[in-house]
Amino acid sequence: MNFITNTVEETIELGKKIGRSLKPCDIVCIDGDLGSGKTHLTKGIALGLGIDEHITSPTFNIVNEYEGRIKLYHFDVYRVNDPDEIAAIGFDEYIFSNAVSVIEWSDYIKELIPDEHIQINISNESETRRSINIQFFGKRYDNIKEVLL
Amino acid sequence: MKILGIDTATESASCAVIDDGKVLGEIVFNYKKQHSVILMDMIDSILKNLKLDISDIDGFAVSEGPGSFTGLRIGTAAVKGLSQGTKKPLVGISTLDSLAFNMAFTPGIICPIMDALRGNVYTSLYEFEGGALVRKSEYMVIDLDKLIELLSDRNSQVCFIGDAVPLYRVKLSLNLRDPKFAPAHLNVAKAASLAELGLIKLTDKGASDLHTFAPFYLRKSQAEREYEKKQRDLPNERL
Repeated sequence: MNFITNTVEETIELGKKIGRSLKPCDIVCIDGDLGSGKTHLTKGIALGLGIDEHITSPTFNIVNEYEGRIKLYHFDVYRVNDPDEIAAIGFDEYIFSNAVSVIEWSDYIKELIPDEHIQINISNESETRRSINIQFFGKRYDNIKEVLL
Repeated sequence: MKILGIDTATESASCAVIDDGKVLGEIVFNYKKQHSVILMDMIDSILKNLKLDISDIDGFAVSEGPGSFTGLRIGTAAVKGLSQGTKKPLVGISTLDSLAFNMAFTPGIICPIMDALRGNVYTSLYEFEGGALVRKSEYMVIDLDKLIELLSDRNSQVCFIGDAVPLYRVKLSLNLRDPKFAPAHLNVAKAASLAELGLIKLTDKGASDLHTFAPFYLRKSQAEREYEKKQRDLPNERL
């Protein structure tokens, strides 16, 4: 599924739509260059989950936790050198718990991502224009597919 | 000799005080992981009800793993603090050993299984020999299917206990000959069981070192994980 957004606000709006349909245990992987808007999309997802706290990129602390309609674990694994580092902080217990997990730079820890997940890739078309590709792996995401169509 | 036992390795949280061969008190909650919220209250409450001061405790036993990453850290941190503050020894006991001990004198193999996620369990095999719990295998994190293979080869009666029992009971029943399962009231990590093993270990082998003691997480190595992922990603060549 492909989307074009022309502003940060549109990216957040798309995130919101996704966030509103997420269920506990859902996993959203977001990849794309620095400054492509991964965290903005996550802000939208958080809003959709009923979280009004300010979302910042957890580049240095690896994971932030937020309380909403459903709990959100927001990962940024950019600084991770080795998937083993993430496995060693109890990654599985986060992603298999009763929460939504959003993982930025998921490509770095591919081997730890379960087969069922949503994969979002963002690419820069121009300074503000973004092409956002969303793939759904697993039947559990069929409902979100329908909402976004 | 009074031992305070603490278990926070799984969803359940438990603390108990034993005095040599007698359990003075035990509290067990098996409801949501909320160890960081309730553990200290539980310890405070058990001591108050027993009219004991923390300084009356002669030693501490804590489940050292395997188990929940955060749970183990909470238990370890709490016991280290108590041990350092009271200058009393601490000892770590394997979560699997203490679960197996719940099923004392069960004939055949006692097999504690704890949910290690992604279809894996933490496990080890035990037998009671001459009144003592004897571990018959390494501590393992293993795919449930592999455990079934391993147990089928042994051709012995098996009794399962642990938080993975409700998850895999049906599968185990279908694939093994007449397996037994711990009744619900025993199928939870009990701090009294842990404290009893702790007392034995403290007497026989001495205390763990306060400063270097760390939880035992038992994870698959990166090589194993990559191999398994590769196996999953391969097209089904055998079909």
